[in-house]
Amino acid sequence: MHSPPPARRRVVITGIGAVTPHGVGVDACWAGVIEGRNTIGPISRFNAASFPVRFAAEAPEPETLPEVPPEVAHILLDLKGRLAAVAAAEALAMAKLPPLGARLGVCLGSEAARPDLAELAVRMRSGELPGALELDRMSPAAPTRLVAAMAGALGPMSTVSTACTSSSQSVGEGLLRIRRGEADAMIVGGVDVLVDPIMVTGFSKLGALSQRNDDPATASRPFDLHRDGFVLGEGAGFLIIEDLELAERRGATILAELSGFGCSCNAYRITDSPPDGRGAAQSMEAALEDAGLSPEDIDYINAHGTSTPMNDSSEAAGIVRALGERAAEVPTSSTKSMTGHLVAACGAVEAIFCVLATRDGVMPPTRNLEQPDPACPLRHIPNAALRGPVRHALTNAFGFGGSNGTLVISRWPGASA
Amino acid sequence: MSAARVAVTGLGLVCPLGAAFNEQVAVLAARLAAGERALRPHPPLAQLPDGGLAGVVGALDLDRFLLRRKDKKLLARPSALALACAGPLVSAYPGDRRELALYLGVGREPPDDGESEATLALSARDGLLDEGLLAGPGRDRYPPLLPLKTLPNMAPAHISINLGLMGENAAWAGVWGAGLLALRAGLRAVAEGRAPAALVGGADSRVDLGSARDRLRVGEEGAPAEGAALLLLEPEAEARSRGAKVYGWLVEADPAELGAIDARGVNIDQMGDLGAAAAPVAAVLALCGDRPRAVWAADPGLPALAVGVRPDTAC
Repeated sequence: MHSPPPARRRVVITGIGAVTPHGVGVDACWAGVIEGRNTIGPISRFNAASFPVRFAAEAPEPETLPEVPPEVAHILLDLKGRLAAVAAAEALAMAKLPPLGARLGVCLGSEAARPDLAELAVRMRSGELPGALELDRMSPAAPTRLVAAMAGALGPMSTVSTACTSSSQSVGEGLLRIRRGEADAMIVGGVDVLVDPIMVTGFSKLGALSQRNDDPATASRPFDLHRDGFVLGEGAGFLIIEDLELAERRGATILAELSGFGCSCNAYRITDSPPDGRGAAQSMEAALEDAGLSPEDIDYINAHGTSTPMNDSSEAAGIVRALGERAAEVPTSSTKSMTGHLVAACGAVEAIFCVLATRDGVMPPTRNLEQPDPACPLRHIPNAALRGPVRHALTNAFGFGGSNGTLVISRWPGASA
Repeated sequence: MSAARVAVTGLGLVCPLGAAFNEQVAVLAARLAAGERALRPHPPLAQLPDGGLAGVVGALDLDRFLLRRKDKKLLARPSALALACAGPLVSAYPGDRRELALYLGVGREPPDDGESEATLALSARDGLLDEGLLAGPGRDRYPPLLPLKTLPNMAPAHISINLGLMGENAAWAGVWGAGLLALRAGLRAVAEGRAPAALVGGADSRVDLGSARDRLRVGEEGAPAEGAALLLLEPEAEARSRGAKVYGWLVEADPAELGAIDARGVNIDQMGDLGAAAAPVAAVLALCGDRPRAVWAADPGLPALAVGVRPDTAC
């Protein structure tokens, strides 16, 4: 039987793992964003020469893969599975969790994998259909099962699929599950791989992608007056979160506290964000309330900041609405200016950047921010990292369809690199 | 703070046997109990070995819930089913719908209506994908909003946009377990006071040729089907104070409890396999029963989930 929820538990982060266009491993990814280094370049996954958008932020192919149980090995045939396996292995190795069985759960943000387009074209001619194993690895739950098998997790498992908000919500769901006593630790995060011909075709026809083919390194420029769209990226980010008492009892190294989560719907439009930022504000306010904090407590905001004209001004309006006068004081940046948009993985990867910002007292910049848009009246961190203590960081993720998620990450006393 | 008792104050069911809301659900449940079947030959599946039987939902009443009728073309089938199911429940909800939370179980990425096949057909040369053709004539045929139509979270998105819901939300992808995740999330959010009320359930459609073939390939039982089911949850005290009809309660439950209903097989011979909608459909029907039940499901390779349903005699 389910036991009654205990008094609210505090949840801490004891492991992180990432693969982003900056590289494999948290150190490489963090160094890349702190240095303000670009990762956006010509698409190599397919011949994009005749496409209207010919650049993206591709994730590197991991050179080595962790050993995984045979029943999930087929999931590694997808790049998405490989990125998830590598990032999860890094996070698990850092956390050094003991065997927790049914007290360890997994909640990932992901989408259904897409069949390889070239294979689809062949199948259209031959009539051949995908086999059971291929269908299994294309299931949205495939990365969840892969990571659970790697970790020996037998507790609650779920796959959140809310587009660009997916992994932010997966982290939030993990937080709630531990607070409620459903698990003592959770593996949370997300993975996405979208640099394929159909996605580039679809999002460019939608008018959502930057078209700066002549200078991809400057294409992603959140909050800049001359921004013209987002850049597709790829990656995976995983966090090990656990009950504070468990972490202290086992002498774990605590990186930060996961102190708040909020989410909301815009109830506006499928592709557009409301100009007044109301849904985003509601999400941030809910996260602050959940964390028991006020705007004065927030020292850094990792914005969703996609570099589309509409998202950035709407998000800025939301930040002003939620934080009031404090919005003009809190250093704010968008790491998508360097990594591109990791879609279902962005919330988790950017939460990891917030963990490291609280730990190291460094806030990553917004690259390419040359002329801030007056419609985005925030305290930006243009082009160079900012040093300073970060007591609490707030990170936003907003998805197509109008779902919003916000996480609050708090500095853990004594945490150090 | 003790958890609030979570009452079910609204029931919505859009299934192959028809659509029913609130008290009407009991009538539909009685038809099922009498053995009525809703499986029919579905022409798009005629080439399949079983002759193409499927549980298909009839015409949907959508126009009165769409803010802009032209948005109908943006609705993949699960989104249409979900909106048709949510519309009457939300319209009748007297509270502030902006505060309603929305938790939905959805299936895999829903299929398009052949739009991408047209693009692919124009993009293939000698049986192989030609990226030049895809970027040219193929791209010309590609509907710009297609990526958005087929995202799994579009079902809750259309409910939120058209019906004005702004509260907490999440969508879980999966098969039968996805709907249970939604029911459990709603139960806990309302019990803890994170949400003043919640619309919870699932929507899925598996009656297109691609999905039906996939089901056969992985050996899933029963005919493919489609449907949506939603429950409106509120703290019992609030529901009673506004004089709402209480159909029963959602409670914590264990899959091993006696009286458990396997959502995967619920009325499968009569309506087919409802996928992510199966558990919410089972919960709605159980609220018309005469005893508490535990609705459970387990997706392949994942642990079983359950939620308890205690009916009131009113239904």
